[in-house]
Amino acid sequence: MLKPKTISLVLKQATTGGVKATLLLNSEGSPLAFISDSDREARVYAAIASNIWNTIERNGKSVMNGNALKFLLVGCEEGNVVITTVNNNMFLCLVAKPEVELGMLKAKIDALTKHLEEPFQQAATYM
Amino acid sequence: MSEEIQMYFDKLLLRIDGLKVITVTDRDGVILIKSESKDFSDRVLEPTLSTTFSVVNDQASKLGLKKNKFIISVYENHQVVHFNNATLITTLVADSTANTGMLLNLGDELKDVTDVIVSALSGHQDIS
Repeated sequence: MLKPKTISLVLKQATTGGVKATLLLNSEGSPLAFISDSDREARVYAAIASNIWNTIERNGKSVMNGNALKFLLVGCEEGNVVITTVNNNMFLCLVAKPEVELGMLKAKIDALTKHLEEPFQQAATYM
Repeated sequence: MSEEIQMYFDKLLLRIDGLKVITVTDRDGVILIKSESKDFSDRVLEPTLSTTFSVVNDQASKLGLKKNKFIISVYENHQVVHFNNATLITTLVADSTANTGMLLNLGDELKDVTDVIVSALSGHQDIS
C-alpha cells in the first residue's frame, strides 16, 4: 500500500531551487500530500489548479478532436505553476518563483510523475 | 494597415516549425486577426478556446502570484499557448513537438502589435 510519509518525502525532493510548493491533489481540488510554506497557501493552489485543469480539459476536448490534455503551464507575474495528471483522478502541481526556468519545472514534474505513476497504479487495483 | 498586419501574421506561420494557427481575439472570443495553415481544423477558430482562457485567466490571477500572463496547454498532438494582453487574447496553436520557447518568444514579439490595437481600442493611440 501507499505510505503517506514516503509520498511527502518524494514531494520534498522536488521542492528545491526556487520551487515554493509541490502538491499531490485529487480532481476535486483537495490536497492529498503537499510540501508548502503554509497549509492555507497549499489549499488555495490545489483548489485553483484543479479548477483550471478541469475547465481547460472540459472545453478543450471538443476543439482538439478528443486529444487528451497532458500538461499545463500557468505563467504569472510572480511565479509559474505546472500541472499534470498522475493517473486519471490525481494531479501533480508545482509552484515556483519566476526565476526558475520553465524547462527545469517541466523536467521536475515529469520525473515526479514517472516516479509516482507505478505505485499509484498498483494502489488503484486495491481500491 | 490591416493588410500589412495580416501579411506579417501569415509570414510568422512559416517562420516557426509546427505553428498552425495564430489568432488575436477579444475576451468574448471575437476574432480580430487570424492566420491559419491550410491543413488545420477550423474548430480551433471557434470562440471556445479564447473564452475558456478568459475564465481561466481570472482564476489564475487569484493564485497569489499576481496577474496571469500566459497559459500553455499541451495535448497529445497539439499545444496551445494563450497570452493575456489587457483586453486582447493572443492564441498560438502548434504541433506538440514545436519548440515551446520559440512560441513564448513569439508571444512577446506579438505584444508590440497587440499593444497598438489595445491602445487604439481604448482611444489613446499615439499618432507618430
